[in-house]
Amino acid sequence: MIKITNLEKIYRTEEVETVALNDLSFEVRDGEFVAVMGPSGCGKSTLLNILGLLDDPDAGSFLFNGVEVAKFNERKRADMRKKNIGFVFQSFNLIDELTVFENVELPLMYAGVKKSERKARVDEVLEKVQIMHRRNHFPQQLSGGQQQRVAVARAVVNKPKLILADEPTGNLDSSNGNEVMQMLTDLNEAGTTIVMVTHSEHDARYSHRIIRMLDGHTVTENILV
Amino acid sequence: MIRMYIKTMFRNLWKNKTFSFINIMGLSVGLTSCLLIAVYIKQQLDFDAFQEKGNRIARVLMEYSFEGSTVSNKGNYTSVRVPLVLKNNFPEVEDAVILAQTKRIVQTGANLITENRFMYAGTSFFKMFSFKMLKGDAGTALAAPFQVLLTASTAKKYFGHTDPVGKTLRLTGDSNLYRVTGVVADCPAASQIQFDFLASFSSLGISKEHEESYWDANYTTYVLLRNREALTTLQAKLPAFMKEEMEGKHATVNFDLEPFRKVHLYSGYDAFLPNVPIRYIYILAGVAALILVIACFTYINLSTARSAERAKEVGIRKVAGANKGQLFWQFIGESALLCFIAVFVGMAAGALLLPAFSRLIGQPVAVASLFSLPILGVAAGIILLVSFTAGCYPALVLSAFQPVKVLKGAFKHAGQGQRLRRALIIFQFIISVFLIVSTCIIQQQLYYIRHKKLGYDREHIVKLPIPFTVENTDLIKSEFKQDAGVLQVARTNNTPVNMVSGYNMRTPDMPENAQIAVTANPIDNEVLPAIGLQLAAGANLTEQDIIDANGNGGANERLYHFILNESAARQLGWTPQEAIGKKMFLDESRPGYVRGVVKDFNFQSLQHSIKPIVLFSSTYGGTLLIKISGAHMPQTIAFLQSKWKQLMPDRPFEYRFLDDEYNDLYENELRFGKLMNVFAAIAIFLACAGLFGLSVYTAQQRIKEIGVRKVLGAATGSIIFLLSRDFIKLALIASMIAFPFAWWFMRSWLQHYEYRIAMSGWVFAAAALATLLIALVTVSVQATRAALSNPVKALRSE
Ligand SMILES: Nc1ncnc2c1ncn2[C@@H]1O[C@H](COP(=O)(O)OP(=O)(O)OP(=O)(O)O)[C@@H](O)[C@H]1O
Ligand SMILES: [Mg+2]
Repeated sequence: MIKITNLEKIYRTEEVETVALNDLSFEVRDGEFVAVMGPSGCGKSTLLNILGLLDDPDAGSFLFNGVEVAKFNERKRADMRKKNIGFVFQSFNLIDELTVFENVELPLMYAGVKKSERKARVDEVLEKVQIMHRRNHFPQQLSGGQQQRVAVARAVVNKPKLILADEPTGNLDSSNGNEVMQMLTDLNEAGTTIVMVTHSEHDARYSHRIIRMLDGHTVTENILV
Repeated sequence: MIRMYIKTMFRNLWKNKTFSFINIMGLSVGLTSCLLIAVYIKQQLDFDAFQEKGNRIARVLMEYSFEGSTVSNKGNYTSVRVPLVLKNNFPEVEDAVILAQTKRIVQTGANLITENRFMYAGTSFFKMFSFKMLKGDAGTALAAPFQVLLTASTAKKYFGHTDPVGKTLRLTGDSNLYRVTGVVADCPAASQIQFDFLASFSSLGISKEHEESYWDANYTTYVLLRNREALTTLQAKLPAFMKEEMEGKHATVNFDLEPFRKVHLYSGYDAFLPNVPIRYIYILAGVAALILVIACFTYINLSTARSAERAKEVGIRKVAGANKGQLFWQFIGESALLCFIAVFVGMAAGALLLPAFSRLIGQPVAVASLFSLPILGVAAGIILLVSFTAGCYPALVLSAFQPVKVLKGAFKHAGQGQRLRRALIIFQFIISVFLIVSTCIIQQQLYYIRHKKLGYDREHIVKLPIPFTVENTDLIKSEFKQDAGVLQVARTNNTPVNMVSGYNMRTPDMPENAQIAVTANPIDNEVLPAIGLQLAAGANLTEQDIIDANGNGGANERLYHFILNESAARQLGWTPQEAIGKKMFLDESRPGYVRGVVKDFNFQSLQHSIKPIVLFSSTYGGTLLIKISGAHMPQTIAFLQSKWKQLMPDRPFEYRFLDDEYNDLYENELRFGKLMNVFAAIAIFLACAGLFGLSVYTAQQRIKEIGVRKVLGAATGSIIFLLSRDFIKLALIASMIAFPFAWWFMRSWLQHYEYRIAMSGWVFAAAALATLLIALVTVSVQATRAALSNPVKALRSE
C-alpha cells in the first residue's frame, strides 16, 4: 500500500535548516498495523503528514497503491486523501461548533454522500464506538476519551483503506487509551491498514511491526507478529 | 451542506458575541446610513422626474447690462414679454408659460390667513407641466382672470369635505373674488414648482404696454421646446435676436436657457424652493462610501484577527476532505449571511429612522421609497460588494491555511495579516481624522456666517410685513412706540438680510445712457438707527427728507435723498466725504442728493461680496422693522399685536425676528452642516467599534502573556501601555496622512464663500488629539480589564 524510497524533508526558516526526514525508506503492506517510535523531534509527525498527503516531501518517491504521489499538487492530494485516508490526532481536533454527529458526518459531506446514507453510516460508526447516546452533544461536553472515540469514528466513517494516528492515546489515561487501541486493533482486523506514531511501548505492542526512527531515518524495524 | 455551513456560522456568531455584535452592528449602522443617504440622493436626482415633458422644458434666465457699464446682472426673472417673444419668433418653441409666486392674504370669515405659496400661471401651464387635475378642466381652469385652482390640501383646509369648485375666495387687496375652478393634487415634494394656489396670470392685470418691455422682469418663464436638441439651436439664435430687440436702448439683454431637470441641482438660481448644490450630493455620497468602507474594514480586521481561532476548523475540514474552493465559499457565504442580517437590520432601522432623517434633510421621504426598486438594488449591491470585498480576504487567508501547521497547535498567534490589519486601522483613522477636521471646519464656517459682524444689527429686531403703500405709517409708528420696549419703528421694503431689487444710477456728469446697475431699496429716517448702520460720512435721512420724497403729499415735485454705501460712492467716483450733498439720479425718475454714506455692510448672503447699494428716501415699503429692547420681549410682542389688530384689522399679525430670517438664508448650509455632523459621528463611532473589537481581541490573545508578565511583577500601568502603544502610534501616523487631504478638501469647500474663515492649525491639532484620545479610551478600556484580570485564571485556561 505504501512504499517510500529515499524520502527527504527539510524545513527552512530564515536562520536554520532542519532536516526532518533524511533518506528514509520503508514499505507498508495492505492490512498491516505499523507503529512508528523514536525520540521527540526525530521526524515522526513529519513522516505521518507526508504519508497522509497533508504535506509533500522535498525529495524521494512515495508510491501510494502503486501511484507516485510525491509530486501531486494540493488539489490532487486532497482528492486522494479524501478517498483513502483517515486521521486520528493526539489532540482530538474536533470542530467545537459542530455536534458529535456533525463532526463525524463531515468527511461524508465532503465526499458528496447523500443525506440519507450519511445518517445511516454515521449512526453505524457512532454505535460502534459506543457514543451514540451523545450524538447531539458538542465536543466540550465530552470527556477526553469520548472525544477521541468521536475522532476515531470520524476517521473511519468514510471507510478509508489507511488510518494514520499520531499519538492517539497521548492525551488519555490508560483505560481510555486501551479502549482506543482496542478500536484500532478491531479496525485493523477488519482489513484497514494502520500507521500509528506513539511514545508508548505498551501501545506499540498492539501493532505488527515497530519502525524506530532517529534523526530523520529508520534505525531498526522490529517485527512483533 | 449549506445547512451545515449556516448552522456552523450561527454557532460561531453566538460563541463570539462581542465580535458578532460589533460586526453586525457596524455593518448595519453603515448600511442604514448608506441607505438613508441613498434615499436622499435618489430623491434629489429624481427631482422633477414626474414632469413628463421635463426634458423638453427649459427655464429662462435673464442677463443684462447697461451701456458703458462693466457690471452685468443675471437672474431667474423675466418680463411678460419674454414668453410671448420666444413663442412667436422661434419655431423651436412649442409653448411658453409665465409664473409668479406671491404672498396673498386669504379672508375666510373673520380669519386672515397668509398664503405664501400663491402662484399665478399663464394658460399654458397644464400643457407643459404634469400636475394632476383632480377636479375641473385643465383647458379652461386658468383661462380667465380671477380663477383659481386649489391643491387637495388647500381645498380641505378651506372647504373641508365639501366640493370647492364654483366657490369663491376673497383676497386682501383684491376687489374681485377668486372663483375656484378645480382641484389639483398636492405638488410632489420633489418639484421645483411649488404652490398651494394656482391662479390665472391674467388676474394680475398687467397692462399691455408691459408686453413691450424687458425691464419689468419679475416673473419666471419656462419654455417647452419641440425637442431636446432645440435648446442648443434656440440658445444660439438668441444673442443676435436680442441685439436687434435692444437696438438703441443703451443696454444689452440676453437670455440663458437652463434645462428644466438641471435647475434643482446645477443652477445658481433657485426655483420656487431652494436648490441643492450638486456638490452636497457628491459629498454625501462620499461620506456614505467612507462609512461603508469603515464598516467593511472593521469586518475584515475582526475576521482576519480571529482567523487563528478558525484555523483549527479549517485544518480539520481539510483533513476531512474539504478543498480550498469549498472552504473559500464557506467563508464568503458566512460574510454574505452576516451582510444579509445586517441589511435586514439596516432596512428595519432605516424605516424606523426615516421620519427623523426626513426632518434632518427637511424634506418628506416616504417609507415606500426605502423599499423602492433602486434602493433595494443598492442594498443588494451592497450585500454583494461587502460580502465579496470584506469576505474575500479573510476567506482567502483562511482557506489557504495548511492543516499540517494549524493542527499541530503551532499556529496560535495570528501574526499573519498583522500588517494588513494595521494598514486598515490606519485607513480608518485617516477617515476619522479627515471627517473630524472637515466637520469642525464646516461648523466653524457656519458659526462664522451666523455670527459675522455684517455691518448691521439683527438682534431684537421684529420684521412685520405691511401693505406696500399703506398711508397711516406715522400713526402705526407712534402707537407702537407707546410701549417702552419699542425703540425704533422703521419702514423699508427689503430687510438688510437680503436686498435684491435692481435699479440704475448715474451722476449728472455722466451721459444719460451710461447707467450703472445698482441694488437699491426705499427706507425712511428710522432704518439707519434701527439696524445700526454706521455712517462713514454725512448724516441720516431727516423726517423732512421723507416728506420731500413724497412731494409733500403730491403738492410739490418729489425730491429724493440718498444714503450710499462706500462701494456705491466709490463706483460713482467719490470718497464718502466728497459724496455728501452731491446730486445723482436713481433710475432717471428719482433725482436727488446724497445725504450720507454708510460703511459697507453685507446685504446679501455671504457667498457674495458686498456690492454697491443705494438706500433712498421713501414713504412706502412693504416691511416694518421694529427694534425692541430685549428686556420684556413677550409683553412687547403682545402689545404690538393688540395695536396691530386695532390699526390694521384686515392684515394678519405675522412677525418674524430678523435673525431667524437671516438663518433662513443659510438653511441649506445649516442643514448640510447637521447632516455632516451626524454622519461624521457615525463614521467615527464605527471606526471606534472596530478598534474596540480589535483591542478586545488583542487583549484576549495576549492574555497568557499578560498573566506571565503579572506573575513576574509587571505593574498594571505598564501593561495598559503595552497594549495601547501600537494603536496610538497608528492614530498618529493616520493624522499626518489625513491632514493634507482634509486641508485640500476644506479649502475648496470654503472657496464657495466670499467671506470665510482661515483654517487654523489648532483644528488639525485638536482633531488629531481627539482621535488619539478616542483611540486611547477605546483601547484602554479593554487593556485595563486585561491588566486587572487575575493572572492565575489566565494561565490555567491554557
Ligand atoms: N514547520 C516547521 N518548521 C521548521 N521546523 C520544523 C517544522 N515542523 C517540524 N520541524 C522540525 O522538524 C523536526 C521533526 O519534527 P516532528 O514534528 O516530525 O517531530 P516528532 O518526531 O513528531 O516529535 P514529537 O515526538 O515531539 O512529536 C524537528 O526538529 C522539528 O523542530
Ligand atoms: Mg510529533
